[in-house]
Amino acid sequence: MISWRSTYCVAALALAVAVVPSQAQETIKIGAPLALSGKFVSYGAAAKRGVEMAVDIYGGKAANKKIDVLFRDTQSDAQAAVNSFTQLLSEEKVNYLVGPIATPMAMAGLPAWRRTKALWVVPGATTPLLEEEAGKEPMMFHTFPYAYHYHISLAKILRERLGAGKTVAIIYSDDSYGREHLPYAQKYFAQEGFKIVAEELVRAGATDLNPVLAKIRRARPDILLGLVQTTDGITLAKQAFVQRLGVSYLVGTAYPQLKQWQDATAEAQESWLGVTTYIPGLKAKADPNYPKLFPDSDKWIAEFTKRYNREPEFIDVGAYVSTMMLLLAIDKAGGDNKEKVAEELKKLDVQTMIGRGHFAPTGNGTLNQAFSDVVVHQRVKGKDAILFPKEFETSKTVEQATYAK
Amino acid sequence: MVGLLLQILADALLLGGVYTLMAIGLSLAFGVTRIINFAHGDVVMYGAYGAFFAFAGLNIDPLLSLPMVAILGGIGGYLLFKMTLDRILNDISINQVLLTFGLGLVLQNVAVILWTGDERSTTPSYAFDSWLFSDDIVIAKGRVIAFVIAVLFVIMLLAWLRWSELGRATRAVSQNQAAASLMGINVRAMYGLSFALSSAFGAATGAIMSFLLPITPFMGFPIMVKAFAIIILGGMDSVIGTVLGAFFLAIAETAIAYLVPQGIGWAEGVAFFLMVLMLIARPAGILGTAGRDA
Repeated sequence: MISWRSTYCVAALALAVAVVPSQAQETIKIGAPLALSGKFVSYGAAAKRGVEMAVDIYGGKAANKKIDVLFRDTQSDAQAAVNSFTQLLSEEKVNYLVGPIATPMAMAGLPAWRRTKALWVVPGATTPLLEEEAGKEPMMFHTFPYAYHYHISLAKILRERLGAGKTVAIIYSDDSYGREHLPYAQKYFAQEGFKIVAEELVRAGATDLNPVLAKIRRARPDILLGLVQTTDGITLAKQAFVQRLGVSYLVGTAYPQLKQWQDATAEAQESWLGVTTYIPGLKAKADPNYPKLFPDSDKWIAEFTKRYNREPEFIDVGAYVSTMMLLLAIDKAGGDNKEKVAEELKKLDVQTMIGRGHFAPTGNGTLNQAFSDVVVHQRVKGKDAILFPKEFETSKTVEQATYAK
Repeated sequence: MVGLLLQILADALLLGGVYTLMAIGLSLAFGVTRIINFAHGDVVMYGAYGAFFAFAGLNIDPLLSLPMVAILGGIGGYLLFKMTLDRILNDISINQVLLTFGLGLVLQNVAVILWTGDERSTTPSYAFDSWLFSDDIVIAKGRVIAFVIAVLFVIMLLAWLRWSELGRATRAVSQNQAAASLMGINVRAMYGLSFALSSAFGAATGAIMSFLLPITPFMGFPIMVKAFAIIILGGMDSVIGTVLGAFFLAIAETAIAYLVPQGIGWAEGVAFFLMVLMLIARPAGILGTAGRDA
């Protein structure tokens, strides 16, 4: 004979089993594989801030369900990135991913992602490897310009401002960043009529760039284009300055916008050009339909600074905007259905702090690309002069390097 | 052509000074304890951060903060030794290697937690200055300062080893631990002292690197790798050998970088190629005594 106590226990257990799944369904999980340690930690930390702020401002819920962001540390290491993706997709069974930022981490996670094809928002990975491998996938949404977008804009603005017949020397790092950027720089600078007179490889993390700079000085180019990442960008700017290189125009990629690069290079930063998606001084207006989610840039910067006691950088803004668009799409889809969310994400057309947020094909293979317009800026007397696009332009002249004046 | 050769020579000499700084502390610690300290590069990194915060927070020039950074580095090195390595000195050597490797990772990650992965640099005026002798010959003042300090360090270390009581005791331990112990020298104390001195040199090197290289929590590993190659080249237990190894490597790297197309990309390869050659041909290095039997 079964006692009443046993019956109560079985009933309670059955109730608990019945309740657990229904509670789980009340939560929508978003996986965020980010580099929270290791050499890409500054990217990961910025992306984490952006994601957290977006979820918080959105109210922590979408489609009446609590949003649970599961951050996983890729440790800036490919194997750890694979583990992060596998854990999020196979164990946590997330339907949505935001991140990572660095291309090697995104590429490492690709095989694991292919197994479930969760809706993947990538607010980074500039090198077009990802485009070649997964651009055609309808569930991938790339929300950052590719390397070729950098060079299209840079070549265009330099041709417009400096005129025809200028020569370019390129320094590129021997890592995937430099090697991936090089063919696009060659292609688009040549298309705009620039003559490339030197191409010099440097080892990522090299202590001494003097031999390369000496070769470039002898080639006497008008423009030096440095296709390296931040650490090497600091070494390059400092050693070019110390060498008094004699090149009139100094052009970088994303690093001249970074405060850490600016602080570390001090007076050597003067007149360097760079590209970005966001820069302080970019006066973007609020979205008329979602002014709380995408306020005007000054208001958003004030809110960010209040929360984190620091100025936002491009990844902070990019991750915020990308996450916010995903949350909006989840809300519009009315629940945790990734196919419906993907449809809603494609339909979205919002005005954000980094320009129009709308997905469209790139023409080079990516089906869903947002934010392909880049800003070209120049460091002038410790501030940023915006040269492109026209609607944000604050200067019409490209300054020469200090020692070239 | 003459200008180019002079520039190669000047760059090689100045780079040799930087490499000497990177390797001298590692060489000292190995010479005495026969333990390769894989955390040495991270000590350099902490020295660089020390100089950076003195510069950014207190406006103290890295050259002025260098003595304090070195003293703090020495104290830190001694404490690390007492708390960790001292306890496993009699273990098999692989345990000691793994311990220092692990220590390096811990130090690196603590730095990330404390200061994030952002790149930093001190920016004294001499770090941006140079002497321009002609279109071909440019000498960076920051490198010259590093070179002069490397020379001073080597002279100080050699003088200490030769003429001071503790220095002679350190040499005795380095040459024959059993005999030194029988002569009444406290071998463990000498180990601790050499680790402290090694860390002091490492931290002082960091103060110099703070204006030559970007400071990040990850800057230590490439420095350690380069230093490791240098002491294998020069001789793991010889200060003079370390200096020779540093200049030998600097000359080889610089010449290849200038004279071979895309040569700078080969620089690291040169270091390891030379290291492998030396390990095969003469495991003790140019002037060292610790070889296959060490």
